[in-house]
Amino acid sequence: MLRCDHCLLEFPEREAVRDAGPGGEKVFCCAGCRGIYRLIVEEGLQRFYSGRDWKEPGLPVAPGSARVDAASFQGAVRDADRLRELDVYVDGIRCASCVWLNERLLARTPGVTFARVNYATHRARVRFDPERTSLETVLGRIAAAGYAPKPYSEAEGYAARRAEARDLLVRFGTAAFLSSQLMIYSVALYAGTFQGIDPSTRRLMEWVALSLALPVFFYSGAPFLTGAARGLRRLRFDMDALIVLGSGAALGYSAWAMAAGREVYFDTAAMIVTLVLLGRYVEARAKGRASEAVSRLAALVPRVARLVVRGADGRDERRTVPVAEARPGDRLEVVPGERVPLDGAVESGASEVDESLVTGESRPVAKGPGAAVVGGSVNLHGSFVLRVTRVGKETVLAGIIRAVEEAQAAKPRIQALADRVVGVFVPAVLLLAAATVAFHLARGATGPGALMIGVSVVVIACPCSLGLATPIAVLLATGMASARGILVKGGDVLEEAGRATDVVLDKTGTLTCGRPVLREVVALDPALSRDGALALAAAVERRSEHAFGKAVVEAARSPGAAPLPEAEGFRAVPGRGVLATVAGARVAAGNRALLAGLGVPVPGEAGARARRYEEAGDTVARLAMDGRAVALLVVSDVVRDEAPEALRALRDLGLGLAVASGDNRATTESVAARLGIPRALSEAAPARKREIVAEMQASGRRVVAVGDGVNDAPLLAEASVGVAMGRGTDVTLESAGAVLVRDDLRLLPDLLRLARRTRSVIRQNVFWAFFYNAVAIPLAMAGLLHPIVAAAAMAASSLFVVGNSLRIRRVW
Amino acid sequence: MWTLGFLVILSLALGIGAWLLFVWSVKSGQYEDPEGPKYRMLDDDDDDEGRKPGG
Repeated sequence: MLRCDHCLLEFPEREAVRDAGPGGEKVFCCAGCRGIYRLIVEEGLQRFYSGRDWKEPGLPVAPGSARVDAASFQGAVRDADRLRELDVYVDGIRCASCVWLNERLLARTPGVTFARVNYATHRARVRFDPERTSLETVLGRIAAAGYAPKPYSEAEGYAARRAEARDLLVRFGTAAFLSSQLMIYSVALYAGTFQGIDPSTRRLMEWVALSLALPVFFYSGAPFLTGAARGLRRLRFDMDALIVLGSGAALGYSAWAMAAGREVYFDTAAMIVTLVLLGRYVEARAKGRASEAVSRLAALVPRVARLVVRGADGRDERRTVPVAEARPGDRLEVVPGERVPLDGAVESGASEVDESLVTGESRPVAKGPGAAVVGGSVNLHGSFVLRVTRVGKETVLAGIIRAVEEAQAAKPRIQALADRVVGVFVPAVLLLAAATVAFHLARGATGPGALMIGVSVVVIACPCSLGLATPIAVLLATGMASARGILVKGGDVLEEAGRATDVVLDKTGTLTCGRPVLREVVALDPALSRDGALALAAAVERRSEHAFGKAVVEAARSPGAAPLPEAEGFRAVPGRGVLATVAGARVAAGNRALLAGLGVPVPGEAGARARRYEEAGDTVARLAMDGRAVALLVVSDVVRDEAPEALRALRDLGLGLAVASGDNRATTESVAARLGIPRALSEAAPARKREIVAEMQASGRRVVAVGDGVNDAPLLAEASVGVAMGRGTDVTLESAGAVLVRDDLRLLPDLLRLARRTRSVIRQNVFWAFFYNAVAIPLAMAGLLHPIVAAAAMAASSLFVVGNSLRIRRVW
Repeated sequence: MWTLGFLVILSLALGIGAWLLFVWSVKSGQYEDPEGPKYRMLDDDDDDEGRKPGG
């Protein structure tokens, strides 16, 4: 085996493509990789190879095969003073060197004046002169280097969220700056309390402190003011109300205290706002980044179709149009590897279609003229033209999306733990303050005096680190998760996942690989070895585009295998199998009908065995040579290698397991039995899957649902926590709360373990946030509160919260 | 007293200067790509960065 010098994939030596360059001889797995290597060397960018750090071999797209469709990029190009500016997502960037390579290649394209790739988002911004180069050229440069340019479409929601995060950053920065200045004067005032201070100096300090605290409260705290007003109109005490109450009370008290000649709490008022803003900013960043990453994964799906129109000269012409513009009756062409854009009926051509993402059916479905195809399924091979039957809201896909939206709308908004506590805490503090005022009045205090003691209770009770308790923990947890290849969309997802009791898994693509793999070769002829039979079958199937054939060829090409013999006179019998002549022998591989048609008898015992496999949901090909059946080849969608380990880990976490599949009963149950999953639900339509979860949750279970297909999306949206596999469809990714980007099932127990840890840390944080303030409340009630006590409580609880959150890092 | 007032004003002026710098840095998008600078710093060949058209 050799390793390709460009893409690092291992490949058999006989397929090597060699290139003798100035840097010595290099080997490549294909001409495409060699082309990329030559391009890089010609541009003098070899440094890319020494600097790169690829954790996985391979290229995101087969080199050379990627036809870049410039039409779908039109929306991503803007005018920028006589030049054009393009935003493009570069798929395939895996390390800093990739960014470097793309920037250099683009910058060296004549006509390009600016090229910059964002390291975090992999978005390239390119400015070019439309008179000297074209959009196609720019995109072609990216594709030529083995990367896949995709339109960088930013959903409006994300743009708004980014603007919000930026706004929070400015408000927080301002508050932090003012608070740090304010602290200088507060310390001077504290020192004055102990050492004595000149009254005029003290007055100056107080005025400066007041003028610094006011913008913190009214400018930086503006989001809290509006939030609290909104909450109070609905008579709800939320976090915003608590902050406004605490900070406002401290500010009002201090203004009064200045007049009355007492201690001021301006620093407390400002610090509450500052620390909570920090929490909000951190939360917005963590959330925004994950959601953006998910929407980027989702946006990789093209939303264009190739319309076939009869031209004036009577010949067919093809035009690329947005899917939204297609009308019923239009004819659309679908080429291999593409997703079927809309529901329709095949008009001409034939192919096999992978519907697993839409229906959960694991086997490819053959489609000939007249057959109905579902939008969203993947065309495996063979081009066909379909006549659109349904568009827009009537398609199967739109129906599923509607179910997702219904489930999301019906789902009660999960209240974060901190918010639940606050809902009880605020009324309690207000009552306590009122009782304190009443008590001091009864003991003969003056009205204003008793009121001020009451207000001081509110001031000390407001735990500013409560605003940090959740965000800091969530920031650390999401950061750790994304380093592992898990995207988590928010803190509520982690809190819910930490409480999960059951896991419902989809079968096709989640528990299994989602593509057929050769599982077994049964040799019927003693003269032919297992490997010999496989090589023979692969020689015939090599020319076949059928998913079955690919599985056989892939198995035959495993390390150490002999080169495949040549096949001649290849012929495919649609729906039956393939025929060819190999080394003078007539070889046929196909189903029972093919062999029966050729008049080849299959021994009774072997026939029964084949039928048993077929009943269990596998696909069986009978291999015949010169009129004798010589072997059975069993192909099926195999269970992922890591699935048993992942499920064991889930069981160790005490979670109940179930599998829900749209596939037939035999297949589903055999997979469940093999993995030891007690509950198997088969032939479940998307709506049925959702019902299953809804029923479980109605009985008090908390369900984590895992899936990859469009048909799983309603399930993921309905479940307490939806987890999508990284290769899932856009709808699935959007409906899930977390995404396993690395497409490894073992990440699921990792995620749940992390969620449990995070949840317990958040609970501890909430406790510590309240603890120091609660201890100081009696002091305030007695009228003995001093600003230093308030500042110390705030500092101590914040330190504890941050320190405790760091413990999350020790989960794995 | 006058010195104290002067120092207060001076410290506030310095602080406001720093704050304006911060606001400018946010507005000019310097927090958009926190990953990039640590790699770009290691690039020796800045030859074609900001290259002019025709260059």
